[in-house]
Amino acid sequence: MYVAVKGGEKAIDNAHALMRTQRRGDTAIAELSVDQIRQQLPLAVDRIMNEGSVYDPELAALALKQASGDAVEAIFLLRAYRTTLPRFGYSEPLDTEQMQIERRISGTFKDLPGGQILGSTYDYTHRLLDFSLLASGEAEVAPAEANALSEALAAGNSCPRVLELLNKEGLIEQSRETGDGDQIPRDLTREPVNYPAERAVRLQNLMRGDEGFLLSLSYASMRGYGDSHPFSGEMRTGRVSVELVPEELGFPIEIGEVLLTESEMVNQFHGSKDLPPQFTRGYGIAFGRAERKAMSVALVERALRAEELGEEVLYPTQDQEFVLSHTDCVSANGFVSHLKLPHYVDFQSELEMIRRLRKEQGQATQSKTTNEEANA
Amino acid sequence: MSAATAIGYNFAYLDEQSKRMIRRAILKGVAIPGYQVPFGGREMPLPHGWGTGGMQVTASVIGEADKLKVIDQGADDTTNAVSIRRFFAHTAGVETTELTAEATLIQTRHRIPERPLQADQILIYQVPIPEPLRFIEPRESETRKMHALSEYGAMQVKLYEDVARFGHIATSYDYPVMVNNRYMMDPSPIPKFDNPKMSMMPALQLFGAGFEKRIYAVPPFTQVESLDFDDHPFEVQSWEDACSICGSDHSFLDEVIIDDNGSKMFVCSDTDYCRERVTEGFVGEAPAQLETEQ
Amino acid sequence: MAVSSHELIAGFADPVQASQQVFRSALKAMSEPGTLMQIDYLQQAPKGLDLSTWQLALSVFDPDTRVWLSPSLAASDAVVSNLRFHCQCPLVETPAEADFAIALHRELPLLIELNWGTAEYPDRSTTLVVQVPALSDEAYWTLSGPGIEHTRALRIAGLTEPFRSDLIRSRQRFPLGIDTFWCCDNRLTALPRTTFIEETC
Repeated sequence: MYVAVKGGEKAIDNAHALMRTQRRGDTAIAELSVDQIRQQLPLAVDRIMNEGSVYDPELAALALKQASGDAVEAIFLLRAYRTTLPRFGYSEPLDTEQMQIERRISGTFKDLPGGQILGSTYDYTHRLLDFSLLASGEAEVAPAEANALSEALAAGNSCPRVLELLNKEGLIEQSRETGDGDQIPRDLTREPVNYPAERAVRLQNLMRGDEGFLLSLSYASMRGYGDSHPFSGEMRTGRVSVELVPEELGFPIEIGEVLLTESEMVNQFHGSKDLPPQFTRGYGIAFGRAERKAMSVALVERALRAEELGEEVLYPTQDQEFVLSHTDCVSANGFVSHLKLPHYVDFQSELEMIRRLRKEQGQATQSKTTNEEANA
Repeated sequence: MSAATAIGYNFAYLDEQSKRMIRRAILKGVAIPGYQVPFGGREMPLPHGWGTGGMQVTASVIGEADKLKVIDQGADDTTNAVSIRRFFAHTAGVETTELTAEATLIQTRHRIPERPLQADQILIYQVPIPEPLRFIEPRESETRKMHALSEYGAMQVKLYEDVARFGHIATSYDYPVMVNNRYMMDPSPIPKFDNPKMSMMPALQLFGAGFEKRIYAVPPFTQVESLDFDDHPFEVQSWEDACSICGSDHSFLDEVIIDDNGSKMFVCSDTDYCRERVTEGFVGEAPAQLETEQ
Repeated sequence: MAVSSHELIAGFADPVQASQQVFRSALKAMSEPGTLMQIDYLQQAPKGLDLSTWQLALSVFDPDTRVWLSPSLAASDAVVSNLRFHCQCPLVETPAEADFAIALHRELPLLIELNWGTAEYPDRSTTLVVQVPALSDEAYWTLSGPGIEHTRALRIAGLTEPFRSDLIRSRQRFPLGIDTFWCCDNRLTALPRTTFIEETC
């Protein structure tokens, strides 16, 4: 007699034990520490923090270690931890104008107040494998003057945003909506998104969104699938202090600082019946050094403003519900991977249906043939 | 102190404020049968699409006195059912059971138990996509209007296209229903075989869609009608075979392939129902293919 | 009105389990309308609130629920202080802004003053909690609709005629409507917007 497969519990325990062994790899090789990941894979850590929605490099590095380097799995781990954390309060809006800049690039002006600061970057490296890294050796140390320069910058004054320079001439729209539009943003981790979603909610969603998905969407928006003609007004990376107003004090205190990358895009706008032609903005911000992410967010964010600016919505990149419903890698991964779960019952229903349809079609063909033979 | 629970986490994982928010959504769902109530779905430590909606509902409803049963595909021993049952045994310290008759809460994926449910039991469905109109109109802003206006013609057209093409409606699971004559509702991907059980059920039915952030409900003794046409009435699947274990010819059967030649046998998808019948002395016949095997 | 500490009384001894149990009673009342539930997780309520109202509030209200109180409740230091302290719920001036409105039977707002929700979001309505002088299963009203197999009898004392007919008529606007809890001492029942009411007497 057939015995239904039992032992699910044992199978799960064994699968998890195997996974832990696989994660450790060859035990003859030293184990990777969370500090090493944090120090030597910082860009991976930044991505985990961004999509995991927690600024905590140590936990992000731990998640990356626990997930065997799978970014999506690590993001999921961090999110599931985040959701259980108590909410002490909401910070004051960050003032990125006061950023201690380590890198700042404008694609719209050759030189500008505060200057172009190249900082540390992979841009302009020739993508040639550096075989010297195969052997464990000391890394090349940055020359003293490079260090001195970046320290001077860090200590230096804040520089005004490029787009504010345009704003002085009235060539670009205001960055903040006046009146009702500029309210305390909703928290999309506490309440569901209602469509159409306001800009603050869209930006939150994009910041948590999958970097690859946003990169591809922004690419599409520049290739004609989206009425986007962007310039990178400014891209800046640096530290910004975070302030909170505790109920009992009633004035802001600094609780720490975060490393951020901010991107502001300048886009053409032909004007509408109410507005003269002017430049419009697309905005993106991300934890850590995450230029690709910040720029992608800024581009997609601008494309999603189509409706608000009275542009025709023709492409998926401009469609709020299409974009915002599908940005989240934790949701997307969950739903795609849930196909691994049993679907016996639904598949059985489909089997029964297909067999019946085929049988009916067979009978119909047969009776048709019989009729034709009878007629012949 | 409450039953033994996971260290560092509240009873049944979710914090009390999240539970209260979900409980309020459940009360609204019950008051507006079949209407999808938006709620602030929380991130759960399981992936989306693996039952996080059902789990959030269960976590908000469950108490120390409850006895929890979890099934996936009708079975208590499928890996996902085991995993969710363990989650609540661990985080809420509640008693679990495989007996449909004994359970006060049943969380399910894709099936309604064969044994009729009773008053004061609660059936909690895991729902992947709560919107019955989603594949007709992908936009939430549009489907919301359609529900507001009871504009369900598009679904009738879709089903009628089947009739025109195949001679009958070709949807076999996730088959849309009308609740209390007002809201079109997605019954979750249960086989349409289970649809009739939803109507006038003495137990409360709650539905949770985690990543779509929707909760809906069917109170006990509420009309639930599967969509159909006067000339093409709703009908459920039937099998020519019977369960090889308990001989049942009236339960939903899973097809099991037993050799490389594709020989097959049928067994009850509801493992507790099958077990109960075997205890009562019912016996199935081994499939013909097995008997002729050398 | 600030919180007056001398008015404060104790909340649930085991808030996690008591809130869950009270919620399950409320859920049963709402899903099987007119069923009388008894809730006994506390022996004392702030002066002015029935035991069942108070336990429902402790179980369901929090900083995310806006609550309106009928005039004499709003004027009660004990009621306001305890709701503020235990539930931290914001109190609002008009019933239309409220997620929950608590009223004494003789201070009931007109149904039209509450929020009925919208056609697209009927869930965004006010839930009305009424304290009444008596609740019983005498055949005064005959209830039918979802949650009721055939019919169920219910008597709610102390409701005025215009309010009763407003409530009965409100069913025509479904899915818009007002869901109600009815509290008396330690007992509670509910009538969601789906329940049809026939006056038998």
